[in-house]
Amino acid sequence: MLADPDKSSGHGNREPSWPVEGVRRVPFVVYSDAEVYEQEQHRIFKGPIWHFLGLEAQIPEPGCFVTLQIGNTPVIMVRDGHGEVRALVNRCSHKGTPLAIVPSGKVDQFMCIYHNWCYDLTGRMLSAAFERGVRGKGGMASTFRREEHGLQVLRVHRIRGLVFGTLNESTPPFEEYVGQGHIDNINRVCGRPLRILGQYSQRLQSNWKLYIENVKDPYHASILHAFNGVMKQDRLTMEGGIIMGARGWHHISYSKMATDSGGEVYRTAQMRSAELAEYGFGLRDRSMTEIWDDHGDGVTMTIETIFPNFVLQQLRNCLAVRTIVPKGTHESELMWTAFGYKDDDEKRTQGRLKQANMMGPAGLIAMEDGMIGGLVQKGIAGNLDKAAVLEMGGHGIEPIPGSRVSEGSVRGFWTGYRELMGL
Amino acid sequence: MHDVAPSLLRITEAEARKHQAAYAYTIDEGPLSDWPKFFTDPCLYRITTRVNEERKMPLSIMLCDNQAMLYDRVEAVEKANIFEPHFYRHILSDSRVLSSQDDSLVLETSFICVRSMLDGRMDLFTAGKYVDHMVKQEGRCLFKSKTVVLDHSRVDTLIAIPL
Repeated sequence: MLADPDKSSGHGNREPSWPVEGVRRVPFVVYSDAEVYEQEQHRIFKGPIWHFLGLEAQIPEPGCFVTLQIGNTPVIMVRDGHGEVRALVNRCSHKGTPLAIVPSGKVDQFMCIYHNWCYDLTGRMLSAAFERGVRGKGGMASTFRREEHGLQVLRVHRIRGLVFGTLNESTPPFEEYVGQGHIDNINRVCGRPLRILGQYSQRLQSNWKLYIENVKDPYHASILHAFNGVMKQDRLTMEGGIIMGARGWHHISYSKMATDSGGEVYRTAQMRSAELAEYGFGLRDRSMTEIWDDHGDGVTMTIETIFPNFVLQQLRNCLAVRTIVPKGTHESELMWTAFGYKDDDEKRTQGRLKQANMMGPAGLIAMEDGMIGGLVQKGIAGNLDKAAVLEMGGHGIEPIPGSRVSEGSVRGFWTGYRELMGL
Repeated sequence: MHDVAPSLLRITEAEARKHQAAYAYTIDEGPLSDWPKFFTDPCLYRITTRVNEERKMPLSIMLCDNQAMLYDRVEAVEKANIFEPHFYRHILSDSRVLSSQDDSLVLETSFICVRSMLDGRMDLFTAGKYVDHMVKQEGRCLFKSKTVVLDHSRVDTLIAIPL
């Protein structure tokens, strides 16, 4: 168990147990401990972070809403009567019942099913059933003030159809939080009006951090995902790199498919791809690899993460946003929303839908990500006093120019994590 | 076509059921390399969710629209993708016919699929329905399209083997 961060400098029995090596070690206990999980709820999810809420395209008209979770906290994202996007904690001020009990819908106001307390789309309380009693008798106490019982409102930031929210008053402005490189890539990937193609989610039998680490780790992408390496979809021998966001907490990994060189390592090294090469494995059907350059820069893959748990994905022409939602120390839910552009013609839409075979629970590339965290969780179970070793690419979080053979972006995640958790 | 005996063209419900059962046994018992043989070329095989269907969202969890893509899936599952080995057991309901012509039948069939892992675990993995368009080609029943609509939109861990 990790020491209480508030007491870590005290003289109690418990010592802070983050290894002295710093972020090149990750104590296994942070993936398993209930107390750590509770601390994360306060210090990270209610802390100074911007959390992804959804796409504006999900709520096209006034009254349209979707529900989501920021850590444990249930949240409603809704478009109000003036067309503004609002985010409200999904909890009636009376007894705490969720006001929206379905994943999405369209309403004029939020009425609690329990005692019919009503709120407008901005969270202002409108009325309570029998507020003035019956025939002049009973009713709310004279101390009750409707204006004191509105819903908790989140600060919201919209950018190119993506909506982020924060529960914390001290969260810095979004641009400052993520850094210019991240803004540039959002402008690039989401630069045209978005069209949602569909959604699904995955239950992962692992701590949420094992998934986000995996996303931030370009080292594994062409190794664990043999499909990637053998099919030359994304290999570390391609031109590419890592862009670190503000404070190193966020990252972008990118590559250019047309620039693969020195790829023989995938056939000759001690790697599974070398065994697979003997099969002559190759795609019979070419339609999934018939790609086009959406952004005019030859960059075929970008994975952008925003601390703590958001992913913006461009795999060739397969575009999606993902959020990993903690559901307990050993369980998380990965939410996927695939999108294209409103001005896509039918051919492009079909192309994106075919390329979507690479993502999701059945993703030719992504499938292993659904299970690897669960396996790690099993492997570390008896040794929570030990730590993971993250030394590929050095000790630091600075990107290596022109290289993605690095765990610097993973160490960047832990830099942010340690800072907010006080570990 | 007029000189072909009508019985060779007509597709009966009994034949459709037999095809459906053989399909489920092939997935559950193998070999997976026989899976593509149940489809025409071109064809449409997709896994999606009830919510995406209701909202007319075209995204699939898995999508193949020709024989080559079906075989690519088989190869990927057998050679490239890594996952904990597991088996399915499909249980199918009776089918209901949505429309029928002499040489084509549209029907839907409810299913549940139980997943068993090598370490002994067993879970109810998925429930939903097949919406199938069956045709008869050269005397054989085939899926022209098979849409697997999951009742749930959350999938446990991964789907490697088709449903």
